[in-house]
Amino acid sequence: MRFVFGFGLVVSLAAIALSQGVTPAMLLKPPVDSWPTYHGDYTGKHHSAFTQITPANVGQLTQAWKFQTTAGVKSTPVLVNGVLYVSAPDNVWAVDARTGKELWRYTQPRSDAFYIGHRGVAVYKDMVYVTTPNAHLLALNASDGKVRWDVVIADSKKGYWSTNAPLVVGNHMLVGVSGDFDNLPGQLKSIDPDTGKTQWIFYSTPPAGVDTGTPSGGSTGGQMWMTGTYDPELNLVYVGTGNPTPVLNGVMRPGDNKWTCSIVALNPDTGKLAWGFQVSPHDTHDWDAAEVPVLVDANFNGTPRKMVMQASRNGYFFVLDRTNGKNLVTAPFASVNWSKGIDAEGHPIPNSDKEPQRDGRLVSPNESGATNYRSPSFDPQSGLFIVSAQDAYGLYFFKPEHGDYGWAGASPSVAGKGFIRAIDYQTGKIKWSHPIGDGAGTAGVLSTATGLTFTGDNSVNLLALRTSDGTTLWHSNVGRIGNSPITYMLDGKQYLLVGAGNSLVALAVP
Amino acid sequence: MRISIWIIATLLSAGQASQRPPQTVTPQTYTPEQIQAGQTRFSSQCGFCHGRDAAGGETGPDLTRSVLVAQDLRGDKISPIVKMGRQEKGMPAFDLGDADVSAIVAYIHDQKAKAEAHNGNRRNVEPSDLETGNADAGRQYFDGAGGCAKCHSATGDLAGIGTRFQGLALLQRMLYPTAGRPAPAPAKVTVKLKSDETVAGTLVSRDEFTITLKDDTGANRSWPVTDVTITMNDPLAVHFDQLGKYTDTDMHNVRAYLQTLR
Repeated sequence: MRFVFGFGLVVSLAAIALSQGVTPAMLLKPPVDSWPTYHGDYTGKHHSAFTQITPANVGQLTQAWKFQTTAGVKSTPVLVNGVLYVSAPDNVWAVDARTGKELWRYTQPRSDAFYIGHRGVAVYKDMVYVTTPNAHLLALNASDGKVRWDVVIADSKKGYWSTNAPLVVGNHMLVGVSGDFDNLPGQLKSIDPDTGKTQWIFYSTPPAGVDTGTPSGGSTGGQMWMTGTYDPELNLVYVGTGNPTPVLNGVMRPGDNKWTCSIVALNPDTGKLAWGFQVSPHDTHDWDAAEVPVLVDANFNGTPRKMVMQASRNGYFFVLDRTNGKNLVTAPFASVNWSKGIDAEGHPIPNSDKEPQRDGRLVSPNESGATNYRSPSFDPQSGLFIVSAQDAYGLYFFKPEHGDYGWAGASPSVAGKGFIRAIDYQTGKIKWSHPIGDGAGTAGVLSTATGLTFTGDNSVNLLALRTSDGTTLWHSNVGRIGNSPITYMLDGKQYLLVGAGNSLVALAVP
Repeated sequence: MRISIWIIATLLSAGQASQRPPQTVTPQTYTPEQIQAGQTRFSSQCGFCHGRDAAGGETGPDLTRSVLVAQDLRGDKISPIVKMGRQEKGMPAFDLGDADVSAIVAYIHDQKAKAEAHNGNRRNVEPSDLETGNADAGRQYFDGAGGCAKCHSATGDLAGIGTRFQGLALLQRMLYPTAGRPAPAPAKVTVKLKSDETVAGTLVSRDEFTITLKDDTGANRSWPVTDVTITMNDPLAVHFDQLGKYTDTDMHNVRAYLQTLR
């Protein structure tokens, strides 16, 4: 049973606006009055060319409107044709981006699947696509939120769930799932956005009896729960894969456990692996490499390169040549004590003394990681990769009695300190580090062409930092920022949009 | 140094494993040979629909979660279905001998037993797991290289700590004392105002813009940090720095030493 609340008049106006819908061509060159995908564009840079909000006038930013939801906003909204679509588990709200008024809400009763959060929706043609905690993919009418179809992505009874914001590439909708408490093969599905039919499945770890060509050493997991990025010239999708399972028991899964904790490049038409790069060989600390693989075209040591960059949960920043997966930079951006160095191909070498043990190991970073899923940004002017980072320590326990299924151990956190850090992509060196308070940050990062970086601290403040040196230029007590800020132009006005607590807050300069 | 009132529960929330399969009504055992033979038969005859691990395939259900399998005793319910099929559900009849069917039954029950045993949730740590440290070495580290004795005393503030905390709770309290009873000492802070007045108290919160302390009267007082000069004695900062210095051996030794302070 599903419930939809709508308001006839506004719905019909929105329906007219949406008649043109989202096309593959539009996603290749998003209009300024849109944020049509989870990352805003295919590169995942989370950087805007808009220049209306500047260091000189940022102090005049004021609230344009505020929209109250019934759950903490961790998702990144999508904006198409003047309508924002924002999600939480089992919920989607369509909100007028000019006024903050609700146009419709889709909600469904709580299932008995696993609830942790939700990343966001996808929009294609005149439909909004949302994953659910019980691992369904729903296609909703963008005009009124009514369910057009509902397909099962994975079996939630086995322990799968989904928080994923799907990625649309051509006529493919790429949908990922999660599942750390059971030994489940890692799968990314390509769904036909018109019909809901499965086009292909990429397995990061092989299911029983399936030969994927890459043995995983007995490991399952490697779930692709975060939205990937896409290079149309190379026709490759880049996705980060999650940690292996069993999570903390590394004894029963010897070797590297490919392709867990990796950046993989896939052909979106076939799901075939072009290349993979493992950022955490044989992970035993729950450090997903699901973080955004950011695509940057720039000089590297004086030579133009097509690169993919990731600040990974394991504490290392990676730069790869995205045509072939060859490593250009591996450097720590936060406290790490689990590796013995970097090998010739750029992979950190895990120190077996820091694998979980019966009496515990003090490991840095902790389970929540040196960073997590919230978006970093790449500022092309300064060449800085800006990311929410954490210097943190945790305890890791495993003994044979913990078994070889699911979590298989214990990993309590000890302490952490949060920072916004700017990394020079050519050297991996930290250019500046802005403290944001105890614990891991909960805000993503957005940079703009005027040299501004928007993010949040671990208190209740929205921050505008100077991108070049991290100095605070402005702040506002709007509530704890829980998502990644976005920006868009509507009617000639630049809006900044953040999730603060249970609210969506739009700001603009007068 | 910042004290945050936020607890990051985002990714640290308690886990929930898959929904438990129905419990087998009559427990039954099979020999490894039967199970092995059954795996081969099952894989070739049944795996295409039910998955090679019996956990479900493209068209056949997950047999480890089947109520019928839970109620089966040595094939009394499964065997007829294998031999007769279930035409209405699209399952064909299989012309197999009794030995082959028995082996398949053995494999299905073994897979089901494995599924029932699955508990993928986060696990507990027992106090006995942590009894690896050397208390004497821990005392030396405490009094010497670790610098713990600069602030703490085995006969003063830590007297009896080994009675109040054990195992992992003691280790966490030692590494970063933010929880448990008695409550750890809050940071002491002195704020000097532009008027040269000074206000002393304990830290309530501090971020980049505002500091709040509780003064001697118990009142909370706040100032913009740019308006005051702050002098803070935050014991937690010392503990945080120490996290980057401990070896695992030091850590276990100090915990063992503290456990002796009863």
